[in-house]
Amino acid sequence: MSVLAAIRRLWHAVAPRTHSDVEEEFCSTLDAYKQDLIRQGFPGEEAHRKARIDLGQPAAQNESYRDAIGLRAFDELGGDIRYGLRALRRNPGFAAVAVLSLALGIGATTAMFSLIYAVLLHPFPYAGADRIMNPVIINEQHPDEPQWFPLNKAQFDALRLAAPVDSLLGFNNSHMEITGGGLPEDVYDIYLTEDAGAFFGVRPLLGRNIAPSDAENGGHSVVVLNYRFWQRHFGGDPRVIGKTLEIDHASYTVVGVMPRSFAFNDTTGVGDVYLPGSLMRGIGNVPYLAYIPWIKLRPHVSLAAANSALEPIVRQFAKEHPERFPDHWHLALQPIIVPYQQETGRTLTLLLAGVVLLLIIGCANCSILLLARGGTRQHELAIRSAIGASRWRIVRQLLVEAVVISCTGAALGVAASYWLAKLPLLLTPDSFPAESVIRINVPILAFSVALALLCGILFGLVPALRLSGNDSARMLPGRQIGIVTAPVTQRWSVLIASQVALTLLLMATAGTAIRSFLQLIQMPLGYDPANVMKLGIMLHVHDPGEWDRIQSHDPRTAYIEQIRDKIASVRGVSTVAVGTDATPPYSGAESPFNVDGNRDREQPQARVMLVGQQYFAALHIPLFQGRIWNADENARGDFVAVVNRAFAVRYLFSSHALRRQLRIPSLTSRNRYIATSAQSTAWRQIIGVVDDARDDGVDRPVVPAIYIPYTAEMLPYVQFLIRTQGDPLSYVRAIRVAIASVASDQEVSNGVLPLDEAIERDAQYTRQRLFSMLFGVFSAMALTLALVGIFSVVANSVAQRTTEFGVRLALGAPRVHVLWVATRVALVSAAAGIVMGIGFDSFLGTVVAHWMRSAFSAGTLFAAAAPLAVTALLACLISARRAVTIPPSEALRYE
Amino acid sequence: MTKLVELPQGTLEMLILKAISLGPLHGYGVLLRIQQISGERLEILQGSFYTAIYRLERRGWIKGEWGESENNRRARFYSLTAAGARQLKAEAAKWIDMTTVVASILDKKASEI
Repeated sequence: MSVLAAIRRLWHAVAPRTHSDVEEEFCSTLDAYKQDLIRQGFPGEEAHRKARIDLGQPAAQNESYRDAIGLRAFDELGGDIRYGLRALRRNPGFAAVAVLSLALGIGATTAMFSLIYAVLLHPFPYAGADRIMNPVIINEQHPDEPQWFPLNKAQFDALRLAAPVDSLLGFNNSHMEITGGGLPEDVYDIYLTEDAGAFFGVRPLLGRNIAPSDAENGGHSVVVLNYRFWQRHFGGDPRVIGKTLEIDHASYTVVGVMPRSFAFNDTTGVGDVYLPGSLMRGIGNVPYLAYIPWIKLRPHVSLAAANSALEPIVRQFAKEHPERFPDHWHLALQPIIVPYQQETGRTLTLLLAGVVLLLIIGCANCSILLLARGGTRQHELAIRSAIGASRWRIVRQLLVEAVVISCTGAALGVAASYWLAKLPLLLTPDSFPAESVIRINVPILAFSVALALLCGILFGLVPALRLSGNDSARMLPGRQIGIVTAPVTQRWSVLIASQVALTLLLMATAGTAIRSFLQLIQMPLGYDPANVMKLGIMLHVHDPGEWDRIQSHDPRTAYIEQIRDKIASVRGVSTVAVGTDATPPYSGAESPFNVDGNRDREQPQARVMLVGQQYFAALHIPLFQGRIWNADENARGDFVAVVNRAFAVRYLFSSHALRRQLRIPSLTSRNRYIATSAQSTAWRQIIGVVDDARDDGVDRPVVPAIYIPYTAEMLPYVQFLIRTQGDPLSYVRAIRVAIASVASDQEVSNGVLPLDEAIERDAQYTRQRLFSMLFGVFSAMALTLALVGIFSVVANSVAQRTTEFGVRLALGAPRVHVLWVATRVALVSAAAGIVMGIGFDSFLGTVVAHWMRSAFSAGTLFAAAAPLAVTALLACLISARRAVTIPPSEALRYE
Repeated sequence: MTKLVELPQGTLEMLILKAISLGPLHGYGVLLRIQQISGERLEILQGSFYTAIYRLERRGWIKGEWGESENNRRARFYSLTAAGARQLKAEAAKWIDMTTVVASILDKKASEI
């Protein structure tokens, strides 16, 4: 109400009197004047007529009122805008294309930049995120595999006191289970040092952060929830604070819920719940169960200075625990953004370049349309100027129309950008940090909109000035004999050529992206994912009766084997193998090991795969040398191992692999849920070498791997890799029934996953697919815009020159010749554009090679240039068709 | 009949203010009053007259109110505001000053210099 009143007051201040008020006063004046005239002796009818003649129309009175109070300019502008909109409605094709060109350019540029900003420049919600470092050890022999190093309490405190350190966060992860409810539920815990709240500087959504006081008395039993876990487990209950959550049979009080954007920590796994670090059992005693540090540097400390200040401290740690460090190493502080930058950065930058090109093409297209359209309006403008429109008035009219187009395009572009920015995240949620919340970047939106408006005004102004400058006398008869002034074409032909060149650049880039994606698809995996699925079961650790039965090693092995046999007996299932966390393309856990006769003080690491003997057959991984263990050896779990060829090359130097032995000291029972074989850490004979199968992602080199019988270390869950005839998912029901026949309450975990789908979910795979798709879409948009540009200029010039073509045809010019005359300029510009584009691409090839890891090949360039040339030619011919199909007699009568 | 006088630019508004200062009038009445006082020697165009009225009202020098005219019709009566009165005084003083100076120059004969 008050807003309305304010508007009314404002309006009253601008125009205090209404139309009817002014009119009524005018009528009363008219009346008084009429009475006067009658008194002077005019007859009634005559007096009325004279009064009307002397005083004019009531409507005109209103105009002079608005003129007097200075509103006339607004009225005229409003008229111009209305006229402009009407002109656009009359010519909807032109308007739609011009508006869409701009909208696409603005939308795509803004969306992509916002994405890059959110992913690369500012993805984390933490205070001072650019100063937070992840310290890693770089092994100088294998610099591409940075290692984390956990610290015990004393080391952690020593690091905290170092000069460049502002504050220090320690964390550690653990898989636990929610108990006390119906079914046990997996939960991922992250222990945090109690000052984490201050370190992150993120305000909780509800309640509080973990606070230093939570460290008292060996740690308070409190828990802070991750947003997604809160949604999943508590249904987003706003009164969750103060409730208790039972984790591994211990009760915790919920004290806080973090906001959605807080998803610590993406690199090691996003936690469901956050617990005070003091609760972590055995800190300071067990060397491997300790804090992983994140360091927040003091402001204005350079990375190099911090590195050199911290290196001596870490060297001291290495002296205390030499076995945890390689022989030659150095410390590197990595900004926490680095993993994402390495993976996504280049291509996103390239995408940004792509969309900027698209924006330029969109603006160029709009300009071409405005220029071409300007040419067709000579006649209308000549009439306006003949009946007295001033030059300024005509320029303003054309300008207003251009601005109406740019503004509509900009508004649509803004709307489109909101939608487009979400698109990549919808398509590939795994490629981006979970924490990055993609917001539209306002400065870049403003930039794109400003560019679009500027372009509209500039290219609206050019024809406006040119057309308004001609005197009407010269333009009017010129129209009748159908002769067009030449200079317009030169401007748009330059635009067409550059548009075509840029389009070719985009198409070549898209071609290259698609080609490298195809290469990725065709890369040999080393295993056969078709018709294989992963299916997991969780053992009932919380059902005391049942757990007692299968807790120890041998009964558990028997239980798992029994289930395996039942699954294998399902009709249509060809091979079933047990594989604990050994599902490619990411398989095995990085573990230290020793090889006999290896005198290196460094403890090497390899992927340890806990699998059953059928694993290789199920995945079609060929045996290279030696043999696979048999069923008895599998049940015993000790003394045998199989390695992959990468292992043999790196650690055994390929020599007599089958005579060597290795041991894995970390295969110990760390808690009561893990059952290990009798001598799990003893020396194992290498009995076979298998070919390499991808174990570190589809596009990364295979890392050394050790395969050992899964019974060496049994976790409370296990997965089966099941090869079937035909679609594996169609067997899930039958397999559930088979499992239930062994133990009726044994449920199958969520996340049954065919292995080819696992590949499609791989981050690198989805990212490359995304980039191929986006570049494909961008180049398709660019191509469409370029073709529409060519089409509309040719169509426009044909429409203007219809009479001329009629004359030519009537005088006997061959149709081909007329077609050539009609399309010559556009064809030559497009050809020049293609030549320019090819030159441009060859020049840029080396630059692009740096970003894309593969240059434009001649084949790709040709594959891009050929369809461009063909479609450009088609666009010319189709739009020029009218020039030769119209009968000469009609063409001469035209207009 | 006496000769018509053409008004210099900008003086119409001053005359309107003066006419209204003699008592509230509706628009047409203002016009008649000015013509009557001038002894029918001023002819004022309706168009520029109303533009002037609107402008004066916009500036807040005169104020319009609806009332009943002599022949029982609704008419808009204008009266002078305080700002209008001040404006009239200043304008009139300026005008008289100017005309005095100009007249005194025009009256001079060669012998008087």
